[in-house]
Amino acid sequence: MSDHYNSEVWTEKYRPKVFEDMVGQEEIIKRVKSLVNSMNIPHLLFAGPAGIGKSTLALIIVKQLFGESWRENYLELNASDERGIDVVRQKVKDFARTKALGDVPFKVIFLDEADALTREAQQALRRTMENYTSTCRFVMSCNYSSKILDPIQSRAVVFRFQLLEKKDIKRRIDLIAENEGLSISADAFDALYEASEGDCRRVINLLQATASISPNITPDLVNTIVSKAKPSDIKVVLDYALSGDFQNSREKLLDIMLKESISGQDVIKAIQKEVWNLPIDNALKVKLTEKTGEAEFRLVEGADEFIQLEALIAAFIRAGLGGESGDLKGGE
Amino acid sequence: MMNMDNVPWCEKYRVRSFEDMKGQELAVSKVKLFLKSFPKKKAIALHGPPGVGKTSLAYAIASEMDAEVLELNASDFRNKAKIAEIVGPASQQKSLFRNNKIILIDEADGVSSMKDRGGISELLVLLEKSVFPVIFTANDIWHKKFSLLRKKADVVALKEVDYKVVLGVLSDVCEKENCVVSNEVLTSIAIKARGDIRAALNDLQILSKMDSPELLKEVGDRNKEQSIFTALQHVFQTAKIDEEMIKVYDEVNMSIDDVFLWIEENLPLAYKGEELCQAIDALSLADVFRGRIRRQRHWRFMVYEYFLLGAGVASVKKYDRSGWTQYKKPSRILKIWLQNQRSAKKKSICEKYAKHCHISIKTAMKDFMLLKVILQKPDIREGLQLTNDEIAYLDKPIVA
Repeated sequence: MSDHYNSEVWTEKYRPKVFEDMVGQEEIIKRVKSLVNSMNIPHLLFAGPAGIGKSTLALIIVKQLFGESWRENYLELNASDERGIDVVRQKVKDFARTKALGDVPFKVIFLDEADALTREAQQALRRTMENYTSTCRFVMSCNYSSKILDPIQSRAVVFRFQLLEKKDIKRRIDLIAENEGLSISADAFDALYEASEGDCRRVINLLQATASISPNITPDLVNTIVSKAKPSDIKVVLDYALSGDFQNSREKLLDIMLKESISGQDVIKAIQKEVWNLPIDNALKVKLTEKTGEAEFRLVEGADEFIQLEALIAAFIRAGLGGESGDLKGGE
Repeated sequence: MMNMDNVPWCEKYRVRSFEDMKGQELAVSKVKLFLKSFPKKKAIALHGPPGVGKTSLAYAIASEMDAEVLELNASDFRNKAKIAEIVGPASQQKSLFRNNKIILIDEADGVSSMKDRGGISELLVLLEKSVFPVIFTANDIWHKKFSLLRKKADVVALKEVDYKVVLGVLSDVCEKENCVVSNEVLTSIAIKARGDIRAALNDLQILSKMDSPELLKEVGDRNKEQSIFTALQHVFQTAKIDEEMIKVYDEVNMSIDDVFLWIEENLPLAYKGEELCQAIDALSLADVFRGRIRRQRHWRFMVYEYFLLGAGVASVKKYDRSGWTQYKKPSRILKIWLQNQRSAKKKSICEKYAKHCHISIKTAMKDFMLLKVILQKPDIREGLQLTNDEIAYLDKPIVA
């Protein structure tokens, strides 16, 4: 549907369309380009943080391979949105059943955020990959390749994407500024970059949001948007905890997580950054940061985010009660 | 005829034909295909959660084929020589009494991949020569010890059975056993079973043995809540850790996940200050074990899970408490549900945006505050084909 219109969402409008437009990742692009030129690709696995060009490269690959008919030969699935492997398998099956159109003897399936699949789902995926290997190529993306099963990694060529350098992102931003008639001060670009942690998609989104207020992009304007878009202050949760009010602290926490669709890990990230600004002594900050790390570790290992965050709140309550007992091991 | 009075109902009413396999139509049709094409593949692997009918389906196959069953259990696999001795000849000779034979390797999960290296693979090699179908049943077919089996056998999944199917089975059995149980109770057994027909039949049989008809009617939700109240009271008010405390959740007829929610909700009512912190620590450690069970399928961790939820939470106080507390029903799940209802529009907007921008809906939801600003532009709204309702949602000022 909306694919065909000229997008006014800048992340789409200015998404690189050919290899030459991409910034950074030079080595990867060189290798992928030669693979595509041979009109045959193996299964590919793109690993790296968000907003550095993984999906863009996948799209360029299919556009180069299939030309005009790329939409008919390309299926995009997002593992973190599909409800279970059965859905993924069914969609792959339906898509792979018909033969590829055109000169290329296979179709391409892009499985985004593949590390969101559980171990079992990945096992099933591996079988699916095997079953359709003659008619389909899988391009998968993930943040951490360590979360992808070895048998899948061994069936794919793995490319590790690097975080984009500041100058690379600047090249894209300058291009957009020129096209859209914006003036961006050096300070303003710094502000955009700082708020995005090297995520190019986020930089562009921030820029478009800021530009909707004024074409003269200043640091103040950027910061206004950034603070508007920032998730609610997690500090309120911590303040309640430090004052010993567990009930209100956890209620506020659940409220923020639900209303703003924030995951447990994002909350932990926010808490970890906030700890150093709290009015408590340094030794305590170290202990609370360690406790925060422990909670994050448990979440990564598959624990329940609400319960583990409540345990983290309990650590802050201890800190509020009187320092020493903030020890992870009980301190007694 | 043997005395059937003490036979477990799940055995007594085991299905004997494909027709009687309830709620597994897809699996049955796959099995039929396998039999039709036999011996193209020698083996079939039936897998699925406990109590959905894997073994029953195997026996149904036998009776449909008029076949004798040679059953091997996990415990028989210790000795490779023994396998060769039993399975080797059996897979060649014709049955003495019937026309046919099947070899059933039940609960293949139990074959340790460490102790008898290659246990399953070894068996597969032997069975290459078998002239009879070989049936494996397993819970976790994706375990790496089954990799060769998955290649050599037809893999058929049995789904968790819907509670209505379970209810149907229970009603049938009630009729045959001439026992009167209210529909309400049957339904609650069926729901509680979570797709495990065997567990449901066991519950029903125990219930039918209670001689007070009053009691029979009372089972159900109220009983469920009463049992968790009693357990919570014991945990939150008793300081002594004894046998009773270790077994405190034995009588609670709800799943351990529900127990977690009840404790989580009521901890702050029971404890304050440092005690509360320690109790939450115990709860969070129990949760760590729950996660480990899920990931590694090492069910023995449940011991620690229950211990931490009971003794762990109880041990934070030095002295017994008295008094009566009105414990609250868990509210977290309800809150999550309500919020999902409220944010339905937000989600549908994010779905459109996510598809357009090649990102996940989750990412879009997370960036929503920023997207709201970008989605002010009319041509973008048009391009994404947002509905009037969705546009109204975007224009609505945020209520703090």
